[in-house]
Amino acid sequence: MASNSDSNAVGMPQLDFSTFPNQIFWLVVFCVVLFAIVKFFIIPRMEDIFANRRKIIDGNIAKAEEIRLRVSEIEKQIEEELQKAKSQCDEIMNTSGNNIKEQMALALEDSKIATTQLINEAEGRLKELRDGSEAAIERISEELASEIISKISRGK
Amino acid sequence: MEKQSAFNIHPMDQFIIDPILTGDSLEWYSFTNQALWMLISLVSISFVFIYGSRKHQLVPGRLQSIAELLYFFIRDMIIDIAGQEGLRYFPYIFTLFILILFGNVLGLLPYSFTYTSHIAVTGFLALSVFIAVTIIGFVKNGLGFLSLFWISSAPLALRPILLIIEVISYFVRPVSHSIRLAGNMMAGHAVIKVFAGFAGALGLGAIAPIFAITAVYGLEMLVVVIQAYVFTILTCVYLNDALHPGH
Repeated sequence: MASNSDSNAVGMPQLDFSTFPNQIFWLVVFCVVLFAIVKFFIIPRMEDIFANRRKIIDGNIAKAEEIRLRVSEIEKQIEEELQKAKSQCDEIMNTSGNNIKEQMALALEDSKIATTQLINEAEGRLKELRDGSEAAIERISEELASEIISKISRGK
Repeated sequence: MEKQSAFNIHPMDQFIIDPILTGDSLEWYSFTNQALWMLISLVSISFVFIYGSRKHQLVPGRLQSIAELLYFFIRDMIIDIAGQEGLRYFPYIFTLFILILFGNVLGLLPYSFTYTSHIAVTGFLALSVFIAVTIIGFVKNGLGFLSLFWISSAPLALRPILLIIEVISYFVRPVSHSIRLAGNMMAGHAVIKVFAGFAGALGLGAIAPIFAITAVYGLEMLVVVIQAYVFTILTCVYLNDALHPGH
């Protein structure tokens, strides 16, 4: 079993126990060196990278939280401003509505006065005219009557 | 290799431990092809984990992504299986994982040597895990560690029988743990070599074995990673048994 170093394996080289001390010696050396590499190089480096990333992520999350708070504050302010503007708007609407009503009422009053004045005037003129015509009729009838009388008296 | 007959296939030749510096004599300290590939694995690991992440990038590049993926995969696995206390043993388990993973993956290169296909290597690793876990179990729990074998959730009458089964399965652990890995590695590589031998013998008809090699190679890529994962996850499970033997 011992001399298997030629090119042809007899059975399984894995079961050639004469190679075991050599294999285990090199395996132990390998393990110790690899463990040292893992312990002193790989783990500190990976943990460092991970911690850095964590720090930045946490920082970003905190920043995002801060921004979120500010946004909600700003939203509240906007809401307040809106409310204020709305009430102002209502006020303006109310006052202007009242103004318009008052002005309308005034205008109505004015127009009423103007119309009554006009009616009165018109009535006065009518009366004048009527009075004028009555006098004319009287005069004409008087003239007619005197004429008739003169004609009658002449015919006698 | 000279062609003597049509089927001159030596699928096991790839596993021969060959002293490459000291000629033919194999002493315990001779530098062998196996030791060479352990060295190559060491260099590859350093390349991926140290060179690849030398810039400590916030957004990782390709190599750093691989390193981080493997690192946090194992870290999360330990936390999932053995809890936060298991994290103390993370350096050991991670060393074990990348040792096996890189051994397996590098073993898929043509002309390479797969050190994880040797029962001496996997047996040593599995035995180390077994001994370490047993010591941790007794140190952490004292004799309470033996409650691992006394299943208190089973009916009392069954417990002595379960005790025997549990004890046997406990002591079989290092055997199954090591043979699973070595067997998988050896079988896959041997199958590829056998098909390669067919391809060499068949000439133009070699298209079928070459297709088969491609298929087996694809399967092996999967197996290689899965076996490294299985070895590590079982180590975590054993560690969890040692840390919390009550359940």
